[in-house]
Amino acid sequence: MMARILMLGGIALGALVQAFLPTWPVFGGIKPPVLAAFALYYALHRSPRGMWIAVFWAALLSDGLDLGGFGPALIAFPIIGTLAHRVRLEIFVDGAVAQMAFGALGAMVAMLIATVVYTATGQRPFDFGYTLLRLVGAGLLGMATLPLVSLSMNKLETALPKHRGHGWQ
Amino acid sequence: MVEFGLLIVVFVLPASLSLKGKGAVRGVMAPAERGTSGLGQRFSEAASAIRGIGGAVEKNRELAHEMVRIQTELNQLRDVEAENLRLRRAFRFHHQTPFSMIPCDVISRNISGWWNSVRIGKGSADGIRENHAVISPDGLVGKTTEVSKRSSEVLLVCDPACRVSAKIERAGAFGLLRGGGVDFRGHPTARMDFIDKDTEVRAGDEVVTSGLSGEGGVFPKGVHIGYIEKVHQDASGLFQYAEIAPGATVSLLDYLFVVSQAVPEEKP
Repeated sequence: MMARILMLGGIALGALVQAFLPTWPVFGGIKPPVLAAFALYYALHRSPRGMWIAVFWAALLSDGLDLGGFGPALIAFPIIGTLAHRVRLEIFVDGAVAQMAFGALGAMVAMLIATVVYTATGQRPFDFGYTLLRLVGAGLLGMATLPLVSLSMNKLETALPKHRGHGWQ
Repeated sequence: MVEFGLLIVVFVLPASLSLKGKGAVRGVMAPAERGTSGLGQRFSEAASAIRGIGGAVEKNRELAHEMVRIQTELNQLRDVEAENLRLRRAFRFHHQTPFSMIPCDVISRNISGWWNSVRIGKGSADGIRENHAVISPDGLVGKTTEVSKRSSEVLLVCDPACRVSAKIERAGAFGLLRGGGVDFRGHPTARMDFIDKDTEVRAGDEVVTSGLSGEGGVFPKGVHIGYIEKVHQDASGLFQYAEIAPGATVSLLDYLFVVSQAVPEEKP
């Protein structure tokens, strides 16, 4: 129960942090993908049910707090979450290289899907060079964000009070 | 399967329900956003204070130089002050136009970086409606969009989706201003289209709002938008277009004013 509250609270806090963080033109003006990193973290560490709750909550916050219709995150997060969840047992999910690779790939897929959705619906103008810059920027930012989110959440989850059994001691 | 079903339900929501859903999400997050925004301001102030203590000697030296410079500028500033007072009188919209302004705190920036927008802590419950002009002492900031009960999104004038009817003050030429996004140096840009090709337009000309507004919005006349940087001929040869540097920089502001359609205040 405490872990689930931490998950929901952590994702909400992640949304605040993502909104509060600045943008850098060198990364294409996008924010560090904190919510995508949370979705990935729980996809790599939780059961399918936990993964879906985290993915849905993160996507709802991402699209709900952004302009435009619901869509980009609600498509992207389940895709990256499901893919990460499938391969989580075949890799060392807490390894730095795995974290960086997942962070970069997840952020790039989310960026690509957002670009397709916004371009197809005419909400944002398409520019090839800018899209390329954003993709690279998303990859680099995702590479840095997921390890930080994982580290913070691992520490917080370790600090949670452990449930003790009531059988014979 | 249940999860995918839930996602599909969210996708096919009609626009009004989608806005209500967003309003609910924003309503849940608004108190936390206000708290974070306040905390951010205090943190920034504390950081400034700490920087001041650490560099006291250096600051003293800087201040001594600054005082000399200020004394030489004092006479010039007196003239500027007189001009400033005159401009301030001219700028008081609520005394000169049938509009009143609603002061609002900026509670959050855009979460994804895809849009050039900010969220303000007032919504339909405070009399804010969509497509109302949002201004700051520096000029036009943008317009309201996606208004929920307790918060509203402000689409900044530099966003490509923001379109405002504008006028070149000196030449009296009208045109349509639309955002050009943020350039690689991080500066907001805008472009004014459909300027009459026979009108003489120069770099440095001031661009203001024309007061014309579609979509049931409220846009006062004569609000400063920015200055023309470059003028180009349209590809069709029928019009000119100009690159504009929007004047209002919201990144430095914590509060904005939404122009409302409320009954004007009694003049003294």
